[in-house]
Amino acid sequence: MKSLHHVLIGGLLALALGSAHAAPRVGQPAPDFSVVDTAGQTHSLSDFAGQTVILEWTNHDCPFVKKHYVSDNMQTLQRRYTEEGAVWLTVISSAPGKQGHVSAEQADALTRDRHAAPTAVLLDESGDMGRAYDARTTPHMYVIDAEGVLRFMGGIDSNPSADPADIPGATPYLANAARAVLAGDTPDPAVTRPYGCTVKY
Amino acid sequence: MTRIWRWIPLLLWLVPLAALSDTDPARSGEVEAPHIRAELFSDAQRVAPGDTLTLALRLQPDDGWHTYWMNPGDSGLETRIDWTLPEGAEAGPIQWPVPKKLPVEHLVNYGFEGETLLLSDITLPMDIAPGDTLTLSAHARWLVCEIECIPGDAELSLSLPVDDLTELSAHTALFQRGRASQPQAVDWPATFSIESTWLEVTVAPDRTLNPPLQFFPGHTELVEHAEAQDVTLNDDGQLVIRQPLNVYFHTTPQQFEAVLRDAEGAWALTLTDGAEMPPEPPAEAPPGTSTTVLLALLLAFGGGVLLNLMPCVFPVLSLKALGLARHGGHRPHALAYTAGVLVCFLAIAALLLVLRAGGAALGWGFQLQTPLVVGGLAYLMFALGLALIGIVQLGAGWMGAGEHLTRDTGLRGSFFTGVLAVVVASPCTAPFMGTALGFAVTQPAPVALGIFAALGLGLAFPFLLIGFVPALARRLPRPGPWMGIFRQAMAFPLFLTSVWLLWVLGRQVGIDGLSLALAGLVALALGLWLWGLSQLSQQQGRPRLRTAAALIMVAALWPLWQASQLKASASMMTDTDAGGVWTPDRLAALREAGEPVLVNMTADWCITCLANERVALDTDTVRAALTAGGVTYLKGDWTRQDPAITEYLAHYGRNGVPLYVLYPRGGGQPEILPQVLTPGLVRDALARAAAP
Repeated sequence: MKSLHHVLIGGLLALALGSAHAAPRVGQPAPDFSVVDTAGQTHSLSDFAGQTVILEWTNHDCPFVKKHYVSDNMQTLQRRYTEEGAVWLTVISSAPGKQGHVSAEQADALTRDRHAAPTAVLLDESGDMGRAYDARTTPHMYVIDAEGVLRFMGGIDSNPSADPADIPGATPYLANAARAVLAGDTPDPAVTRPYGCTVKY
Repeated sequence: MTRIWRWIPLLLWLVPLAALSDTDPARSGEVEAPHIRAELFSDAQRVAPGDTLTLALRLQPDDGWHTYWMNPGDSGLETRIDWTLPEGAEAGPIQWPVPKKLPVEHLVNYGFEGETLLLSDITLPMDIAPGDTLTLSAHARWLVCEIECIPGDAELSLSLPVDDLTELSAHTALFQRGRASQPQAVDWPATFSIESTWLEVTVAPDRTLNPPLQFFPGHTELVEHAEAQDVTLNDDGQLVIRQPLNVYFHTTPQQFEAVLRDAEGAWALTLTDGAEMPPEPPAEAPPGTSTTVLLALLLAFGGGVLLNLMPCVFPVLSLKALGLARHGGHRPHALAYTAGVLVCFLAIAALLLVLRAGGAALGWGFQLQTPLVVGGLAYLMFALGLALIGIVQLGAGWMGAGEHLTRDTGLRGSFFTGVLAVVVASPCTAPFMGTALGFAVTQPAPVALGIFAALGLGLAFPFLLIGFVPALARRLPRPGPWMGIFRQAMAFPLFLTSVWLLWVLGRQVGIDGLSLALAGLVALALGLWLWGLSQLSQQQGRPRLRTAAALIMVAALWPLWQASQLKASASMMTDTDAGGVWTPDRLAALREAGEPVLVNMTADWCITCLANERVALDTDTVRAALTAGGVTYLKGDWTRQDPAITEYLAHYGRNGVPLYVLYPRGGGQPEILPQVLTPGLVRDALARAAAP
C-alpha cells in the first residue's frame, strides 16, 4: 500500500517536472534545433552527425562569462577541442532588449576582440533552443556525441565564482567531459551544477 | 533662503553623528560597491580575553537588487566571508537569515533583499592582554543581482581595544534585528531520502505549524527549486515534504541544513539521511552515542582489569594466582585461563545479541533479573565460601588451591577458573560496566563482541602478566602454610556476596521465597559437609556417603526452584520513600504539564544504585530540595524485567542502571546526572531544574 502510494506520488511529481520544462537527459538523444548563426546560415544538430558537438551558452556582460574570457580559459577550450575535431557552438539566448543580446555584427566583433574560436555563434533570440536544452545559466555547457546523444551537461568547472583566480584550482568538468566523449568514453561526472547568471530569455 | 535655515538644525545634528561613526571602533565604515553598500559591525566595542563576540556583515543592496543564501538556488552565488583574525581567534559559520524565494523566469533563487545582516561569532583567545588592540578583518565577497548580476567584494576591518571587561557597543538594535531575521534552531527529528525522482523529507515538529509551509534546503543541487513542494502529514503525524530532484543532482549528501517556514516563524533543521539512521532517532540526544568504538574498547579493557578487585572475584582469583605461582610453565595456564574468560564472555555476548535480534528487550544485568539465576549465584558463592573454609576439598584445579595440580588437569582447571571468574564477576559487572556494555549491545555484532572480548582480556590481564613476565611471578609471595589461612579468610567476602544476592532474591520473591531459598542453602551445606566427610573417610564408606551428599545437594535446588516461582507481594515491591512509581504515561503527563521531574532508574542488584539512594537521594537535603522545588520524584525498578524501562534506558543510550534524568520546569532539555551522586550535587541540579 505504501509503495503504491510512492509510485503514485512519483508519477505525479514526474508529470509535474515534465510539464514545466522538458529537461534533456544525459544518455538520451539531444534535442534538435534550427538556429541562424552570425553569418545568416541555419544550423541544426543533424548537420553535425558523426561529430562531437559542444554547446556553450553565453552572455558577454555576465561576470561569470567574463571570468572565463578574461582569463582566456574559454578561448583555450574552444581552440583545443575544435582542433581535435569537435564542433563548438556558442549560443546567445538573450531576448532583444535584455542583457547579453547582440546583433550579428556585435557578436562577430566580440569573437574577434576576445580571440574566441567557436565553430559558430548561434543567435537564439526566441530562446527556443535555450528552452529545449533547459539552459539556465551563462555559461552552461553541453557535450553531444557523434550519434547525437547528450553525454554531459552542467557547469564548466567545479568552482562557482566570478573570480578568474579561482580557475586553476577548479576541476575542469567540461574539459574532462569533452576529452572523454572524443575518446569514446562516458564522462564522469556527466552532470554538474551549472553556475552563473540566469539566461536572459 | 528660508530653505537653508530649515536645514541647519539637521546639519548640526548630523555633525556629531558623523564624528561618532568615525571614532566608533565597533563599525568598520561603509564600503560602496555597485548597487550595494557593505559594512562590518561588532556587538562589543571593548573585548576581554576569551570573549565570544558577534560580528555582523551588513549588506544594503539597492531597491530591487538582492544577494544570495547559502543555497543560492538555480543560479546566483552565496555570499562568502573570509576572516583574517589574530592568532588563536576563531570564526564560526555565517548565521544566515531566513531566505526569500526569488523567482527569475522559470527558475528560483534563494536570497535577501533590503538590509541583510550576516552574523558570525568570533571566539577570542585567552592570551591577549588589556591594552592590546585586536584587528578583525573580513573579506566579504558577494554577487548582487537585479536581473543582471555584479560580483563585488570588500575588505572590512575592525580594531577593538582589549580590556578586563567586555563593553557592549551601541549597535544592540542592529544585532537584535539580525537575530530576529534568523530561523530558530530546533532539534526536531528530521530525515531525508532520495526517491526515484524526488527528495522526500520527514520532519516531526514539536508544535503545530500553520500553512503556508515553505521548505528551503541548504544544499544546492538537491531539488528543482522552481517546482511545487508537496506537503502532507503521514500516519504518525509527521510532516512529509516532497519536491522533484534537481536535474543536476548527482551525489547524496550525508546531511544538510534546511529552513522550514510557516505563517508565523521559521526553524532551522539539520536533516540526516533516513536510510543510514534508525527510523526514529530519540528526541533527546543520548549522551554517549559519540563514544567511539576505540574508547569503548579501552573502557571495557580497563573495566575488566578493575573487576579483578571486586569482592566477588578477588577471593577466587587471588588463590588461583598464588597456586599458579608455585609452578613453572605459567604461560599455558595463563592462556588457558584467558581462553576460559573469553569464551564465557563471548558466549554471554552472543546470547545477548541473539536475544536482541529476537526482539527481547534486555539489558546487561538481565541475568540478574531472573530469580533462579540470582539464587543460583547465591548458592555458588556460598558453596565456594564453604570450600575455601575447608569443609570440602574441591578436586583438582577448579578452585585452583594448587596442591593437586598436575599439568593436564591444571590446564583444564585454569580454563574453567576463567569461566568461573566471569560467572562470579557478573553481579559486579552490571552496575560498573553499564555505559560500555550499553554502548556494546547497541552496536553492530562485531563491535559488540569486540567490546565483550576487551572486557574479558582486561579481566584476564593480571594472569597474562604473571604468566608472561616471570619476574612478576617471582615477586608473588612464596606459597606456604599461610596460604591455608589466607584461603579461609577469603571465604568471608564470598559469604557477604551471597548475603547480598539473597537480599536481592528476597526483593524479587518475597519473604516466603527467601526462606525457601535459605532452607535450600542449609541443605546445600549439609550435602557439602557429607561430601567432605567422604573425602576423609575410609574406602568402604565412601561411595554411599558420596551418593547421599550428591542427592542432598541436588535436592537443595528444589526449594530454590520453588522460590523462583513466587513473586514478592505488592507491599514489598513498592518503596516506602517519597518517590512515586515511574510509568511512561505518568512521566509524559508530568512533562505535558511542564512539571520538573527527577527520574531514578534503579535495581536492587545494582550496588551503585543502592549506594546513591542511601548517600544522596534518600537524604533530608534532597528531600527538602524536592519539596522546595516542587519536583516530582519518579522511581523505576528494573530489579525484574521491564521492557518499558529497558526502552527508556535505550532512549538515553544506556543499557543498564543507574540512570538519573532530571527534566527542568516548563520543558526543555533534560539533564542526565552522573552515575555517582552526592547530596549537594543533586540539590544544585534540582534547584536549576525547578527554576521557572
